[in-house]
Amino acid sequence: MAQIVAAMAMTHSPGLTGWFTRASQEYQQLALQATAEMRRRLEAARPDVLVMFSNDHLLNWPINNTPEYTVGIADEHVGPAEWFDEWLAMEKYRVAGHSALARWIVNDGARRGLALAYLRQMQYDDGISVPTHYLNPDAQFRLIPVTMNCTVPPIPTPERAYRVGTLMREILRAHPGNERIAVIATGGLSHEPGGPRYFWVDEEFDRWFLDLLKRGDHEALLRECTLERMEAAGSGGTAELLAWVLVLAFTQGPADVLAYMPAVAWRSGTGMVVWNEMAK
Amino acid sequence: MGNVERCDKTLPTNEMIFRVRGDAALRARFVSDLEGLAREFGLSRAEYEALRDKDPRRMMDLGVHQYYVPQILRLFFGASHNSNAHAALECYKRAFPEETAQAMALQERLERGR
Repeated sequence: MAQIVAAMAMTHSPGLTGWFTRASQEYQQLALQATAEMRRRLEAARPDVLVMFSNDHLLNWPINNTPEYTVGIADEHVGPAEWFDEWLAMEKYRVAGHSALARWIVNDGARRGLALAYLRQMQYDDGISVPTHYLNPDAQFRLIPVTMNCTVPPIPTPERAYRVGTLMREILRAHPGNERIAVIATGGLSHEPGGPRYFWVDEEFDRWFLDLLKRGDHEALLRECTLERMEAAGSGGTAELLAWVLVLAFTQGPADVLAYMPAVAWRSGTGMVVWNEMAK
Repeated sequence: MGNVERCDKTLPTNEMIFRVRGDAALRARFVSDLEGLAREFGLSRAEYEALRDKDPRRMMDLGVHQYYVPQILRLFFGASHNSNAHAALECYKRAFPEETAQAMALQERLERGR
């Protein structure tokens, strides 16, 4: 059976590639060191495939039809999407997919009552492209992108994300293959992309959220970190942390917080986290 | 709840930007013939004027989804080097002076603390 060998999370702010040098030298160094450490730990875990949980920024789906979750089932993923490449200051990248496992996720999800949309050709903006740039620059790991809706009302709750994470863990581990799988959440921390508080970062919320991850008490996190609290810390953006909550369900015990930067210059609370222990 | 709850999921502008963004010909027309494009997509006069005036506050008051607002501004001003000094962000500073001042004070405080 397939096994989960690593679980991580990082911010995918477009500033991390598009206008990286506009943040302080200190933040640039912190971000480079933390992502290098994530890559080092990822390589040590020897995954065959990265399952990345991000959100669709209204790129693949129009606002009249936004599925809760969407799986990219292509044999190869190409990004960034037209027009977003210039914004992210990134050359086009190509990463092999894992079509068989991706299609398994969709079909086994249905068997377990989890409705997952899929796309044979997915487009990529910052959500997948920025973590790919830092964690998989040589495309050595295959990729299955899974996007969610966390910005078009109604926005799912953290409880729902955790429940989906639990189902995803069962789905992936039930795959009749011997894949080694790393799960990676992308997005957050506090920010309000395009809202009135576009420049704002809620350092207090971010440090509180990261402390909850360091404690490793899932029940406490789900009880205290409500959707309302996320929205108050930056509407339409902070709820990208639902991807982190989803990945949390793959883990147990405390997380290592590798770095945190309240980076107004990148318009996002910026953080990198690795979990040490996978849920049994 | 938060600002994102204010979006009007049925607003024609939200449908238009989804189509325009990924199509080079429509992106060019957005700049050269916004009024004609707005008519074709069924935008109201108020929607068209908020776009024409590059006013994030009015766009969101009408129900434009907050993700699309910076994209609309990047269609006008270009997508590269989108730092806080970019022309698209200057529109935010004009539209939301109080929120901007708070964020800039925070940045100063954070940098002074180091």
